[in-house]
Amino acid sequence: MNDKKVKGLSKVENYYQHYGLRAGELNKEGEKVIGYICSFVPVEIITAAGCIPFRIKGDVHEPITKGDNLMETIVCPLVRSYFDLCLKGRYDFLSGIVIPHACDSMVRGYSAWNYSLDLPYSYFLNIPSVVKESSFEFFNAELNNYRRGLERFVGKEISDDDIAGAIRLHNNNREKAKALYEFTKPEVPLISGTELRKVLAVGLSLPISESNQLFDEVLTEIKERKASPGKKGPRILIDGACIDNYSIMEIVEGLEADVVTDTVCTGTRDYWPEADTGIDPIDALAIRYLDKINCPKTYRENRPGTFEGDIADRFGDIGARAEEFNVDGAILLVYKFCDPFGFEVPARKAYYESVGIPLLCLESEYSAGTIGQLKTRIQAFLEMIG
Amino acid sequence: MSYCLGIDIGSAYSKGVLMDDRELRASYYCLSGGDFRLTADKIKKELLSQADITSKDISRTVATGYGSKMVAFADKEITDISCHSKAISTLFPSVKTIVDFGDLYSKVFLIDGKGNLLNFLLSGKCAGGSARVLKVMAKVLQVNIENLGDLSFKAKKDIEFNTGCAVFAESEVISRVAEGFAKEDLLAAIHKALSAQCYSLAERLGIERDFALTGGGARNKGLIKAMGDLAGMDVHVPDAPHMTAALGAAILADEALKRLEVRGQNFFVDK
Repeated sequence: MNDKKVKGLSKVENYYQHYGLRAGELNKEGEKVIGYICSFVPVEIITAAGCIPFRIKGDVHEPITKGDNLMETIVCPLVRSYFDLCLKGRYDFLSGIVIPHACDSMVRGYSAWNYSLDLPYSYFLNIPSVVKESSFEFFNAELNNYRRGLERFVGKEISDDDIAGAIRLHNNNREKAKALYEFTKPEVPLISGTELRKVLAVGLSLPISESNQLFDEVLTEIKERKASPGKKGPRILIDGACIDNYSIMEIVEGLEADVVTDTVCTGTRDYWPEADTGIDPIDALAIRYLDKINCPKTYRENRPGTFEGDIADRFGDIGARAEEFNVDGAILLVYKFCDPFGFEVPARKAYYESVGIPLLCLESEYSAGTIGQLKTRIQAFLEMIG
Repeated sequence: MSYCLGIDIGSAYSKGVLMDDRELRASYYCLSGGDFRLTADKIKKELLSQADITSKDISRTVATGYGSKMVAFADKEITDISCHSKAISTLFPSVKTIVDFGDLYSKVFLIDGKGNLLNFLLSGKCAGGSARVLKVMAKVLQVNIENLGDLSFKAKKDIEFNTGCAVFAESEVISRVAEGFAKEDLLAAIHKALSAQCYSLAERLGIERDFALTGGGARNKGLIKAMGDLAGMDVHVPDAPHMTAALGAAILADEALKRLEVRGQNFFVDK
């Protein structure tokens, strides 16, 4: 299936439809694939260990069945979907798994992952939920524990240079992703929101060198495009957690609007922040994962001391991105039982109001059957701002 | 003559309105059934025969409602939220807040004086808070749905009724029946619970005078009274509230037609 002639967007479509295809092939060739969930797993160290980081993706079309025996329905449906797919063998090429302490569903569910999958390598990454000076000290030590664990698993040392090299490769990947986002900036975008997000999702399922090559191919392909798939309709920002199924983008774009940017995990939350170079690589990773990734799982002190100042501090990146991409409105998609986002909805709403960006809040159950019901709301919202 | 057709394919009932230059010529509604395409055709045929015209006489059709994309002959699809807003602002220009009691959802929306949508909220994805609750209750209590409102006015006792979800509400009512409560008292409690639920939805959006109710549920007098009591103001209700979205669709079709005509005839002026 790894046909050298299939390039760019066709390759993306194939890898998206058969998510994990390439990782499975590489595993058969003897490579070690390490699965992870969430934006908070430092993939650079997995790459530095000579393994392939593989972002586990859910599936809205697969009803959650086996997973429900070990995770009650109060766990967020996205995490349950990941877990259910792993139990059913969808990602049976994994040699190991890393789960970060990002939300309660991940912390409380880790033991279930650990004993029911029983993989040769399994690690729970203890990332602090509060950004303070002491958090960096703690996380720095934790990152070294994580590194030692991987060293024992692969049977070789992971040097600072190995990590610095991996940081360069992953930063390079993030720069290419940003270059892809540039194509959504024209009045009629050159790449559709749905296409872009498929590229970005597939990019997280490949070894970093292959991901970089694929992004280059797509960049060339889009540059040469004659006809644009864009609509010249209202320009929409999608806000939310990890949105790895693109039905919502398809609904928006089917209604003659353009998804031009986002804050979501397999989008800008993963791809925007780069790790610093020229400093100790472990410090660089501690800074990137603790402070640079903006996610509601992280508590930041109210430095300005007022509500208005606090929301500007916490959500300022949304407004900046909306301005950069000339956004007309935003759609916030929150999964049922997603605590971090759920708790934050009122503050987020207040922020959008303060910067004058129309916002539509939607709740999703991460199930294909319920996505269509969101269409009426989206259509009315587009009619309102259009 | 410029006939415009508005068709609203709802999850329970489908409605059609035929207008000739803002003059109402025909209207019709029926159960939506299992094939929305056939239903749309049936409504169109009925309207044509009522007005004694043919398909060629219709200049523009706007489809709305849950099944709008199944109306193959429509020129445009517009959400029922925009259609309700248009119709209500035409009928009652002072209205700013609208509650639509539909079978699938209840919706609250704010409009400006010209019928433009400013903001909206829908009840949950299940039928909780929708007018379907009334249909379910009519069946459980074996009461004709037309009489629900009047019966509820005859209540003698206050019963506390808490469940918002349509399915759980059904079982709650059955258990109250088993406890020996009277139909009238139960109906009053159900109307109160449903209106409280929809009113709190409206409060989340911020209620501005004037206030209007629409949708099939607004045919129920009990609900109109309960909403009026909660809001502490009179509520406007169209004569045929279930037809409002279809009417709005026909008005929007008419407006679009006139814009097209202006563009065609006064090409230079429009530029």
